[in-house]
Amino acid sequence: MSRSLVSPSSLKRKRPETQLPGLVDAEHAILNLIKSKKDLGIWTREIKLETKLADNVVTKSVKSLLAKGLIKEVVNIQNKAKKTYMAVEFEPSKEISGGEWYNNGELDKQLIDALKLVCFRYMRMQKVATLEGVHNEIKKNGVVTFDISSQQIGEILNSMVLDNDIIEVKSTGLGDYYSIPIGKTCYRVAGGAGVAKGPRMGAFATIPCGACPRISFCTSDGVISPSTCVYYTKWLGIDF
Amino acid sequence: MVSPHGIQFAAHLISSFYGELCSKVCECLLRRGTLTLAQIIQSTELSRENVINCLRVLIHQNCVQAFAVQREGAFGEAPRIVTQYMALFNNIIHKLRAPKFMQIVSEELGKDGLMQHGRLSLKRIIDRNEQTAGSSDIHVVRESFIRLLNARFIERCPAPEPFLAPPAEDEAPAKRRGAKSAKIAEPKTTEQRALAAAAPMESMRFLMEMDDLPEKNDDESSDSVTHRKKRKQDVLKSDEDVLDANDKKEVLWRVNFEELVRRLRTKACISYVKTKINDEAGIVLSAILDLSGRPESRQKAEKTAYLSMNAIYDEVIKKEGGLGMDFERIRVSLDQLGCETLSTGLDESYSIGTHLSSFSYFNAVVESVVLRRYGREAYRVFRLLSKAGRFLETDKISDSTFVEKKDAIKILYKLWKDDYLHMEKVVSSGARQSLFLVWRVNKQTLWEQVLDEMYHAALNLRLRIAHEQDRGKEVLQLPREKLVGELEKKYKLLGKVRVILESSLMNLDEAIMLFHDF
Repeated sequence: MSRSLVSPSSLKRKRPETQLPGLVDAEHAILNLIKSKKDLGIWTREIKLETKLADNVVTKSVKSLLAKGLIKEVVNIQNKAKKTYMAVEFEPSKEISGGEWYNNGELDKQLIDALKLVCFRYMRMQKVATLEGVHNEIKKNGVVTFDISSQQIGEILNSMVLDNDIIEVKSTGLGDYYSIPIGKTCYRVAGGAGVAKGPRMGAFATIPCGACPRISFCTSDGVISPSTCVYYTKWLGIDF
Repeated sequence: MVSPHGIQFAAHLISSFYGELCSKVCECLLRRGTLTLAQIIQSTELSRENVINCLRVLIHQNCVQAFAVQREGAFGEAPRIVTQYMALFNNIIHKLRAPKFMQIVSEELGKDGLMQHGRLSLKRIIDRNEQTAGSSDIHVVRESFIRLLNARFIERCPAPEPFLAPPAEDEAPAKRRGAKSAKIAEPKTTEQRALAAAAPMESMRFLMEMDDLPEKNDDESSDSVTHRKKRKQDVLKSDEDVLDANDKKEVLWRVNFEELVRRLRTKACISYVKTKINDEAGIVLSAILDLSGRPESRQKAEKTAYLSMNAIYDEVIKKEGGLGMDFERIRVSLDQLGCETLSTGLDESYSIGTHLSSFSYFNAVVESVVLRRYGREAYRVFRLLSKAGRFLETDKISDSTFVEKKDAIKILYKLWKDDYLHMEKVVSSGARQSLFLVWRVNKQTLWEQVLDEMYHAALNLRLRIAHEQDRGKEVLQLPREKLVGELEKKYKLLGKVRVILESSLMNLDEAIMLFHDF
C-alpha cells in the first residue's frame, strides 16, 4: 500500500492529468489517502497527521468529498467515537464492522435488541410492515451508523417471529394490507396472545409440573412426588 | 395403547369413584389390553366374585365394553365362544368432566339425573324421579327425556355383548390390490371392530319408540344373544353373571359423551380464537360453526361445508357484538382464520377447518411448555425446528435464532434428552470428513410425550388436593365457632389452596381434552 505524501508546495502546482474534475488539491490528496486505506478506513485525526494539512482544510475537504459522494463515513465497532472515513467503493472489513452480528467473537446482543426494539416500535405504529419498509425506517432512524443490509434486517425480523413478538403474514390487499401487493410477505405485531397465555393455552405451562425439569423423575410415592414437591409448596404460597 | 401416565391417571379416577378393587381390574385391562374373565382373575389375583362385581360396575358405568369372539378349539374340539372385556379409556377420563357436562345440560335444559347413573332405562328414570321428587307426572319426565334426546345429550347404550365373527376371507384380496386401496381399507383392530359392532345403528341411536313397554335391542345384538344362547350355555354361564340378564330386555340410555365433548370443544375453540386473533374472528367462527351444525356421521368432519358470504353475514349479525360487522370485516376475519375460498362466478364461498389443529393449538401448548421449562432461547430454537419440519444442522440453528453456538448445543441436547427432539449424526463425505449433528421435531412422538406429561400433571394435581385435604383435616373438621385467630387463617389458606388446585385441574382437563383431539 503506497501512501502518497503531499508536500505543501505541490499544492500550489496544479496537476491537470491526475486531478479529478472539480476537486482542489487538498481534497484530491485526502481522497487518495482514504482510498489507500481500502476497507480499513481512516479517521479524521489520522488524516490530519498524514497530510499535515490544517484542521479547517481537512474538515472542509472531507465535507466536500462526502457531499460529492466520493467517500462515506463508517462506524468503527472497535471505537465508535472515531469518525472513520472510507472510499465509497469499499465495504468495511470485519475488524471495523465486527462481522455481521458478532463483536469480538461474541454475539452483539445489545445491537440485536436495539434493532428489534426499533423494528417493533415501527411495526406497532404501522400495523403492517414490509421488509423494505422496516429497512428504510432503520436507515432513516440512524440507530445504526453502519450500512445495514436488507438481509440483516430480514434476519432480525425472522428472529422476532421466532420470539413470537411479530407474525409473518401474506398480504391480501384488503383492510390494513391495502397498500401492499397481494401475496407479498409482511409482518405485524403478534397481538394479545403472543405467547400462550390464559387458562386454555397456558393451562399446562402455568402449573408447576409444566415448568418442572424433574417431571420424568416424579412418581406418586417417590422421593420426588406431588405431595412433597417444593415447587407446589411455593406456588401455593404455603409455609406452614 | 394408552400412555403410562394416562393409565395411572385413569386408574386413580376409577379408584376415587368406584373403589380400589374396580381400579385394579380397570388398570389390569388398560395395561394388558383386552382380556377374558379368567385372565383378569389371574392377573389381578382377586377373587372371582370380586372381579365379576367390578366388571358389572365398570360396564354399567360405561368404562368397560364386553364382546364375544370365536376361538378355535384345540385338538379337534369345536370352536368356542369366549367373552372378552376392553377398557374404554376415553369414557373413564370423561368422569372427571362430569360437572362440566352437567353444567352444559342444565344451561340448555335444566337439571338432569342421568349423568350420575351410568345407564338407565326410561322406566327406571321415571321411578327414580318419583323417588326424588315425590309423585310426578310421567309426561313431564318423558318430556324432559325427549328434550335430552333431541339435543343428543343422551343415546342408546351399545349392545352389551356383540358377537364378532372371525375376519372374513375376502379381506385378503383387498390388500393385494395395491397400496392405494389398502390405505382406504385399513384393517381394524379387534377392539375397533368390537366397538363398531356394539354401537347402535346411527338411525336408532337417538330414536325412542313411542310405547313405554320394554323394547327389544337392535337386530344385531338380539340375534347374537339368541344365537349365542342356543350355542354354548355352559361356557357362558360365568359371563352371564357379569351381564345382567334384565339389561338385555330393556332399552338402556346413557350420556352421549361425544355430543358433550363436541360442545365443549366448540366453546373452547371459539374462546381460543378470540384470544389468539380477536373478538371478531371468534364471532365469525362461532357463526360458521352454528351454520355448519354437527357432523352427520361419527367421523369428525375436518372442514365445514362451503358457505356463502350472505349466509355467514346473516348469522354473524345475530351474534352479540356482531351487529356492527360488514362484509369487509368478515372477510378480514375469514382470512385470519385461514379459511379456504371457492369462487364460482360472482359468488364466493368459504370453508373452515373445524379442528383446533387448524389454529395451531398443539404448537401453542408445546411452545409454552418449552418456554417455561427451558427458557427463551430454547423457545426460539424449538419454534425454528417446529416450523422447519425437517432436520437442521446446529450452526444453522444457532445463526437463525441469534443464540451463541455453545449455548445452542446445550439447549438442543436438553430438549433431545427429554424426548422433545430427534437427533441424528451426519458424517460428511469428501476430502475432510466432519461430523455434524442434525435435529428435528417429530410431531407424532412429541404429541404423545406432551400428552403423557399432561396426564401426569393432572394426576399430580389430584394427589396434591388429597394430600392438602388430609393435612388440613383437623382444621377442616372444626366447627365454625372454633375457627378464630391462627386457626381461621389456616382454614382460609386451605380454602385458597383448594381453589387454586381445583381450578388448575379444570383448566388442565380442558387442555387435555383439546390436545387429545389433535
